[in-house]
Amino acid sequence: MTKFMFSRLLQSAMVLWIVYTATFWLLMATPGNPFVGEKQPPPAVLHALAKRYGLNHPWHAYWAYPWRAITHGDLGPTISYQSWTVLDIIRQTMPVSVALGSMALLLALWIGVLLGTISAVFKGRWPDAFTAALSIAGISVPSFVAGSMLLLFFSVYFSWLPPGGWGRFSQLILPAFTLALGFLAYIARLTRSTMLDTLSADFVRTAKAKGASPLRVVAHHAGANIAAPILAYLGPAAAAILTGSFVVEKIFDIPGMGQNFVNACINKDIPLVLGITMVYTVLIVVFNLLVDVLCARADPRIALR
Amino acid sequence: MVRFLLWPTVFLLILGFLGMVITSPASSTGQVLVFAANGQIHTLDTAGMTWMQDIRAAMGLWEGLLEYAPKTLQPIAGIAKRWTVSPDGTKYTFYLRHTARWSNGDPVTARDFVFAWRRMLHPTARAGYVTMLFHIKGAEAYFNALTHVHGPRVPFSTVGIKAQGNYKLVVTLARPCTYFLDLMPFPPFFPLNRRSMQPFAPRRGLRYGDYNLRWTHPPHLVTDGPYKLTQWRFGQYLQLEPNPYYWDRRAVRCGCLRLATYSDNQSQFLAYHAGEVQIVSSVPAALGPALLRQQREGLRLDMHAELAFGTSFLNFNCDKAPLNDPRFRMALALAINKTDLVRGILRMGEKSVNVLVPPDTIAGYHSPKGLDENVALAKRLLAQAGYPNGHGLRQLSLLTDNDISINILIAEAIAKMWKANLGVRVRLVSEESKTYYEDEVAGNFDISRSNWFGDYDDPTTWLNLFRTGNSNNHCRFSDPKFDSLMRQAALEANATRRFALLQAAERILVDQQMPAAPLYQFSNGPIYNNQEVGGVYPNSRAITLLKYVHFRRAWLAHRTHSPVAAGAAP
Repeated sequence: MTKFMFSRLLQSAMVLWIVYTATFWLLMATPGNPFVGEKQPPPAVLHALAKRYGLNHPWHAYWAYPWRAITHGDLGPTISYQSWTVLDIIRQTMPVSVALGSMALLLALWIGVLLGTISAVFKGRWPDAFTAALSIAGISVPSFVAGSMLLLFFSVYFSWLPPGGWGRFSQLILPAFTLALGFLAYIARLTRSTMLDTLSADFVRTAKAKGASPLRVVAHHAGANIAAPILAYLGPAAAAILTGSFVVEKIFDIPGMGQNFVNACINKDIPLVLGITMVYTVLIVVFNLLVDVLCARADPRIALR
Repeated sequence: MVRFLLWPTVFLLILGFLGMVITSPASSTGQVLVFAANGQIHTLDTAGMTWMQDIRAAMGLWEGLLEYAPKTLQPIAGIAKRWTVSPDGTKYTFYLRHTARWSNGDPVTARDFVFAWRRMLHPTARAGYVTMLFHIKGAEAYFNALTHVHGPRVPFSTVGIKAQGNYKLVVTLARPCTYFLDLMPFPPFFPLNRRSMQPFAPRRGLRYGDYNLRWTHPPHLVTDGPYKLTQWRFGQYLQLEPNPYYWDRRAVRCGCLRLATYSDNQSQFLAYHAGEVQIVSSVPAALGPALLRQQREGLRLDMHAELAFGTSFLNFNCDKAPLNDPRFRMALALAINKTDLVRGILRMGEKSVNVLVPPDTIAGYHSPKGLDENVALAKRLLAQAGYPNGHGLRQLSLLTDNDISINILIAEAIAKMWKANLGVRVRLVSEESKTYYEDEVAGNFDISRSNWFGDYDDPTTWLNLFRTGNSNNHCRFSDPKFDSLMRQAALEANATRRFALLQAAERILVDQQMPAAPLYQFSNGPIYNNQEVGGVYPNSRAITLLKYVHFRRAWLAHRTHSPVAAGAAP
């Protein structure tokens, strides 16, 4: 276990470095000057700006940046939002994305498992067909379409839910559901196929034979076996939900990290892009590690090496 | 199944709950008036401000020597209760109110102005509007000396900003400036409370410029205006509450004001419609025409669109052949049907113009007539320039930004008109704003679609763009006659004669040289329900003075906000 953790940490550091370098190169290669705008300040002011953000000597900044991040916990100032540092922005926007993401994951998990189980139990009958149609729709309809439709019906036509914004639980429902859709559909398909395999296994027949109720057979006996694949999927799903919430944040006007990431790229806000990329990378690495450990605990046949 | 679902569920619930609790807005007592604007507040450092939303917030937080009168936007007494101007128009003496106080209780003194203005003149303050201070004697030389680290030192005593005692500020200008007082309510001229900024002062040498910008965050930010800053959530809102020490505290009738940030004005409008927002700063482009129609049909009363202090025009790159020929530029400008653009594409009440300075927005300034669309003349001029019917002409590039989709439609329409009317072929280049501005500054274009919004109440805010060597002169236009008229105007102390000189200068641009083809004057304005909110005075300059904004008492008494009251759904 110790050896496993050590090698994984080493790999993670490598991944971080590669991602950081690639991001920096791409940023340097993209056209556009972060300091120009509709009104041009005098050259001396432009020079002072470039100096402040280390862009007179970008390669120096490139080496100094991770070092300062590690030693001072300082990710530097942002270019577009001068009153804020990169760390400030991550600190204020990450909890928003995390709250939205975890609610979405929760919805995806419960509804997905429930739908998948129902469709396995009623295989070939109308609930199965209904769930199949729903999952295909969930996987194939992009979130900007689903989100806009939900917004149109639930808040513009019926005025049941607020059209967006952040702060109240009711404002969380539509975006969380939109974000959950694709993952929900995948979990439903995953649950269905695993459940079908399990339901035809010998121990399920034995459980039925000894007189266990159908509900208990499905929920207790068979249900325990779908844990591993779904847990394994949750790790990448969590990372994808956190990093992929841009569209949903934009539609429902949620002040999360995804929106700022894309805006930072458009504004060529180099420190902010680097900072958020690093946070995303760390999250993905950590989630994958967590899932590996959890899977090993859930299934003794998996050994951590 | 339940057991394996239990732990992730608990974990996710805790995460979601924590995230919500940390980030949801703090509840506040009393009525919160929400003013929604596009885009984030970028900075609350008065020196670094260039964005409209930052400036609007600053005008609610700070007060300069003078402030704007709510309806006319004429400068009236602010922190200075009276002022005198020397007969030659170069020496301004401001007498400050003894009752003016900062939000921490400190008295506002002349030294606070000297400190703020001096700091702004340091390149390390990174002030985008620093050139506004160059009206002051010695300011430009002081700034330039500081930009050259190894050059000769220029002492601050040579700059014409002097505090005489606590309550008298004497400003000496380099040359008369008829609109100098109009600049006073603008953020670069606001004072700063040095004592509260002290903990954030730079450690090394650069004493004035490079403060740690944490001083702009609550609770550190100390301001002298109607409001003080109580909360600032990134990407969400800025919360203002009345400054208890403000000298005109009684005029501030709003207990709690939130400046909310929305990523686009469509979601702003949805929030307004749901009753969560009271004022929307601008009309969403996609819904605009429909909303305006409803207003005209009497279905809603909450649109307050006005012609704006901004124009759209095409920049011609005067460095590049064939655009270096005025006849060629004129031909292109005369072959555009502006009415089609305004009525067919924009449809938000914009007005086609033949001049660059928006007509009838500056008191006392009469715009030249300019040239109307004239395809026959355009064809003749094109032939004279050596390209009859576009023969022998290379393909020209038309640069536009694509942040607002309507800009691309405008560019496409113009390209089509040129093809049909003149046989001129144009390639569209649409870029994201940062790349677009970079190409514009570097001159990587033949023609670029551009806008300009005026900063102060004077034609020079536009005409300066076409002076030789101006950093915003993207046309690379240079005309000795125009430059000389602008120089004469700068030295002229008589307002009428000065405006006549400026009119002659603008006539050179729009009648003879055409470095830029005027297209249309923008139209926009806030959306709010007049019965609900008072103290908003829509104006061409899109300045909303937060000081006067308030809920109507009658509205609060029987608060029945419903979308029907605000207007029907689009």
